Amino acid sequence: MSGTELLEIRQLTTVFPTRRGEVRAVDGVNLRLKPGQLLGLVGESGCGKSTVLLSILRLIRQPGQIVQGEILFRGRDLRKQSGKAMRAIRGKDIAMIFQDPLSTLNPVFVVGEQIREALRIHHIVSGPRWPWPLDIAVRQNEKKRVLKIMEDVGIPSPMDRYAAYPHQFSGGMQQRALIAMALICGPSILLADEPTTALDVTIQAQIMDLMRQINQSHGTAIILVTHDLGLAAEFCDTIAVMYAGRIVEQGSVDQIVTDPQHPYTEGLLACRPRIQQREQRVQPIPGNVPDLAALPVGCAFAPRCKYARELCAQVSIPMFSVEDGRFSRCLRHTDFRIEPHLGWDEIVRL
Amino acid sequence: MRVVKILERLLATIPIMFGVAIIVFFFMRLTPGDPVDIMMGQGGAVSTGEIERLREEFNLDKPLLVQLWLFLKDALRGDLGYSYILKRPVTTLIAERLPATIELALGALLVSLLFSIPVGILSAVRQNSLLDRLTMASSFLGISMPGFWLGIILILLFSVRWGWLPVQGRISADLKLQQVTGFFVLDSLLTGNRQALISSLRHLVLPSITLGAPVAAVVARVLRSSMLETLRSDYVMLARSKGAHEWNVVLKHALRNALIPTVTVVGLQVGILLGGNMIIEAVFGWPGLGRMVVDAIFNRDFPLIQGSVMVYAFTFVIANLAVDVMYTYLNPKVSL
Repeated sequence: MSGTELLEIRQLTTVFPTRRGEVRAVDGVNLRLKPGQLLGLVGESGCGKSTVLLSILRLIRQPGQIVQGEILFRGRDLRKQSGKAMRAIRGKDIAMIFQDPLSTLNPVFVVGEQIREALRIHHIVSGPRWPWPLDIAVRQNEKKRVLKIMEDVGIPSPMDRYAAYPHQFSGGMQQRALIAMALICGPSILLADEPTTALDVTIQAQIMDLMRQINQSHGTAIILVTHDLGLAAEFCDTIAVMYAGRIVEQGSVDQIVTDPQHPYTEGLLACRPRIQQREQRVQPIPGNVPDLAALPVGCAFAPRCKYARELCAQVSIPMFSVEDGRFSRCLRHTDFRIEPHLGWDEIVRL
Repeated sequence: MRVVKILERLLATIPIMFGVAIIVFFFMRLTPGDPVDIMMGQGGAVSTGEIERLREEFNLDKPLLVQLWLFLKDALRGDLGYSYILKRPVTTLIAERLPATIELALGALLVSLLFSIPVGILSAVRQNSLLDRLTMASSFLGISMPGFWLGIILILLFSVRWGWLPVQGRISADLKLQQVTGFFVLDSLLTGNRQALISSLRHLVLPSITLGAPVAAVVARVLRSSMLETLRSDYVMLARSKGAHEWNVVLKHALRNALIPTVTVVGLQVGILLGGNMIIEAVFGWPGLGRMVVDAIFNRDFPLIQGSVMVYAFTFVIANLAVDVMYTYLNPKVSL
């Protein structure tokens, strides 16, 4: 079992039935998250990163569903929790920050009340909350906490902003409000789904600073989902690269950036624009993201891979443990022969 | 601030009412058929002198613009003239009939909302379920069924066959009710008349259902489709991620947003409830404005038509104003 693990995901598989067949948006994903760890989940849009986060909270939209795997939070499998137990975890132990702040904030409620909502749902402030006039003390204490957290996340003059509606906030302030909402109950895990994609670059830096502060002061573990490997490299200590619903490479930031094992990671690194190298042009990865409803038998990246061998397209590639805590789903660095007695599903140590 | 804006809007209804009245004034006089001729019948038994005298009495012998001027002059003082046929002041006639029409419209609105709001919510939450399919199919029926037909069927079943509810009228003929406001339900409450309350409520049931059925159908459909949209929204996902109970998510986060488009549709339907119930008033012998206006049109009773149309315009504008006011409460991005 998980010793120091806060969250351990094993063989998570989430599928969406479509007219053209079953789409495995997340296919056998394994992840581990320690308290206070900063994990980056990187990949192109549509590779299943966000679905991993929503699967953790069990908020996959119907008719999608988790068909396999375990999601162990403090040793408890979230897939086996009742609806009520799950609701008690959402927002309190595991909170999520969404991608587009404007559409994520409810336009008809004032921001302060939306931040207060999680406090109220989880009964964080004790005291009588019913009937109406007697709950005033609770409501005032809750409001105080909301104002405090609004200040913490850098919303200026929270007293005035409490009763403002989302459309009266700027994009950066909206995202700060969403972060305040996620933090208000002091969660141990923060799931951040592209938190800065909708923002411009200076605001992006501020928001990432804020998230780092939260991580350092509260010890909140963060899973950062992003398509920007550079951002993940700057912010995280561990990175998992996803492609077509699977994790293709996993390791520490240093390992991933300096010595990518998987050709896809290599491609992602090569297509980052760099200021130092003037002459060199950005090298895009050729080809397109594969159709998740019609994945090949072998490596999903093989059609776009310059190292692809005949074998790559023919067999399902397992996760290889390259060194401790470092995995790659590629045959390139291995002198590999088919050994019938070796189960393909197992992780093969070299 | 909001009160001032509402008062402004109310004042702005006055020119609208007059504009409508002027249009109706000309249109009625453009339609073939002369009120005095209709009054006298086809026989020609009445002397031309008598006819001339009547024309003079009603000012119909004067040029059109003079007639209009006389009408507007009196109307500004609150005098809408005398009905040619009923020989009574138009304002009195409207005051007698309008409460009945409003009472029926409110009853129909209540019935339709009581039905359509839960149905709209449930069929969106359980999309494609049996309940959803059934209610959407029946709402299609509700829209396409003619009101008089539904009314007759309801009377046949509930009044004639089972005898549960009265056939027609606003209250049992043998009951005496002291009139205060002209709204029978309100009057019986005000005078503490329990029998009259029960009787007037029972009389309201069938016409309200008949009049409210198409409204319920439309509102249920609109609410369902806007709920489907809001239920897929990001803010609903956010509410779920906070650990909110699904009913809280549906009834608070999704419904509050879905009500915004729905209120617009309800407002339009209220106009129809007030102005489009002539047939249902006829089916249920309901002594409302609609039947009186239809008779007035057939008789070319110009003052009564003009006065009633002004009242219709007023209620329509008020219904729209009510929608706009509710809008400002529902949608923080909108102000009056």
